[in-house]
Amino acid sequence: MSAIESVRDRYRTFDEQRYAPLVKGVALFGLLAALPVIIEIDVAGMELAALLSLKVLILTVIYAYTAQSWNIMSGYTGQFSFGHAAFFGIGAYATQKLLVDFAVNPWVGMLVAGVLAAGYGLVIGALSFRFKLQGHYFALATLAFAELLRFVVTNMSELRGANGYFKPFPRDYGAEYGLVAFQFQNDLPYYYLIVGFLLVVTLVSWVIKNSWVGLYFFAIREDERAAASVGVPSFRYKLIGVAVSAFFTALGGAYWSMYFNTIRPDTVFALFKNVELLLPAVVGGPGTLLGPIVGSFIVTPVSEIARTTFSDINGLDRIIYGAFLVAIVIYSPRGVVSWPSQARALWKRVRGDEEVSE
Amino acid sequence: MGHLVTSVAPLPLQGGGLGRFIDPFVQFLTDITNLEPVLLQLLAFGLLLGGVYALTALGLTMIFGVMDVINFAHGVFLVVGMYSVWLVSEMAGISPFLGIPIAAAVLFVLGVVVHVLTVEPIIEAPQQNQLIATLGVLFIIQSAIEIVFTPDPQQVELSLGSIQVGGVFIPLGQFYALVIALGTMLAVRAFLNRTDLGRKIRGTADNRDGARYVGINVRRINYLTFGIGAALAGVAGGSIALFQRFDPFTGETYLINAFVIVILGGLGSFPGAFVGGLIVGMIQVFGGYYLPGTTAQVLIFLLFIGTLLVKPEGLFGGAEA
Repeated sequence: MSAIESVRDRYRTFDEQRYAPLVKGVALFGLLAALPVIIEIDVAGMELAALLSLKVLILTVIYAYTAQSWNIMSGYTGQFSFGHAAFFGIGAYATQKLLVDFAVNPWVGMLVAGVLAAGYGLVIGALSFRFKLQGHYFALATLAFAELLRFVVTNMSELRGANGYFKPFPRDYGAEYGLVAFQFQNDLPYYYLIVGFLLVVTLVSWVIKNSWVGLYFFAIREDERAAASVGVPSFRYKLIGVAVSAFFTALGGAYWSMYFNTIRPDTVFALFKNVELLLPAVVGGPGTLLGPIVGSFIVTPVSEIARTTFSDINGLDRIIYGAFLVAIVIYSPRGVVSWPSQARALWKRVRGDEEVSE
Repeated sequence: MGHLVTSVAPLPLQGGGLGRFIDPFVQFLTDITNLEPVLLQLLAFGLLLGGVYALTALGLTMIFGVMDVINFAHGVFLVVGMYSVWLVSEMAGISPFLGIPIAAAVLFVLGVVVHVLTVEPIIEAPQQNQLIATLGVLFIIQSAIEIVFTPDPQQVELSLGSIQVGGVFIPLGQFYALVIALGTMLAVRAFLNRTDLGRKIRGTADNRDGARYVGINVRRINYLTFGIGAALAGVAGGSIALFQRFDPFTGETYLINAFVIVILGGLGSFPGAFVGGLIVGMIQVFGGYYLPGTTAQVLIFLLFIGTLLVKPEGLFGGAEA
């Protein structure tokens, strides 16, 4: 038995332990927490910070978070939503509306926004599922519900129309910079906050996956009729998926509105926001816990680095990004997290199928 | 007196309460009962716009109907058509009308290339993958246009003027675009119904496996369909360029409305695309006149959602290939 195999065997024994997910989670989030320090380590006169700023890291974790939220509905129950910008936008707008016009603390506003988004999700879900929309039709319906909100908000003077909201100073709602005000004077606390958000939604996803709710979700995804025939109340469970997913996506929107200075219908409800929010999950591997996080660390930095590197030619970054999207869905349709197992399968084929039992 | 004037003018009533939802419709109804001449003019504009909209949806409905692929690059295909016509007329000095067939040819080639490179390899994969692949194509082409031709709006130099028919003002650019749209629709319909290839395409749309059993080369049908769909986008884009300014990002609005029209009319249905186009065109023209801002688009999306829910097969669903 070679050294590699003994390591592999030991890993497999570890993997079967009950505490394995906990250890992996701690390792992953430990790594995330250490990232702001890691990118500044000097390796042979080069530091990662030259490529990856803290701002890019924050964006990356935001999209990891939204993709993880999207995953609960679309990855687990298989109802492909193309309209999560609706929930994201509701999160941003409800938080800012309450904050600017009524001086409601953003943490409270955020929860209100989450409930509102879940309500909108329930309306979308109840209508679409009641009328049995599937596949492309469901995706288009969710897109329509998101685009609808974009135009409604653009035309509502109560929500400041196309101008949107400008984030107020903490003193405007009777607070100091800090956690309570949801505003900080530098980026580092913002980073740890969104990592905390990601931790929460990942925990929720893990709990769902490992409970009978998740079992029902996966049953619906694999074969809804078969699931219904053995007594899975598919309508109700699909709605639960939508509501939970919408709630967390809205919290992401709320965070967005507190991190960036302005929100406008054209930014938070944008057509391509729908794509950005879900892309990491599709790239990483839909329906997996790790997929959205890994996916975001691939997709978001590529787009940001391309933007800063080729800033002198407007648009070149999006050509690279587009080519990257095409390549990734063609060569890795099941997501990046399936690479290790695919590599193992390839390795086995190279060695001549000695261990077919694996 | 001042009060009277403001209540008559169909202007944005921003900030008003429920009135802003009711007033435009009251205004609309009074105009109908008074037989205002403006209604006829709006009707003409709606018809002109609707015909062109129908044409923009034609290629999309074909690709959707035959291959079950949502082609997000369709909007940018339109833009390529616009730039082709502009390039032909500006650089080579050929009439923009002759540029339209050239645009169709350019788009056919582009469509086949895009299909072979991006859609073909994942035609059996989950549909979200195709959606993301065509989205990638959208980014690539859109940005390529932006780099080559700058993001500034362009315009085909063409002063066609307008004619007056019974007090109704008709811009000739839009009129020719409508004629081209109608002609193209009839031609494509004849192609699908009368020719061997057209029948094969319809057969594949009906039942892919069945088509394979009777010996149709479905792979070939796929890339031809994608090419023809793109070529139709070229004709549509070229016709729009006759009367409108455009930039690399013009495609987005047309794309969304084309989706609405495809669903409204029924997947793969050509008469449906025409009626759907007219409905969307009318809502935009009348809504643009009576409703504040872009509220008309809200109505279009409500109609879209309503159709998806109540009659997802569309007005003409299942009737035609």
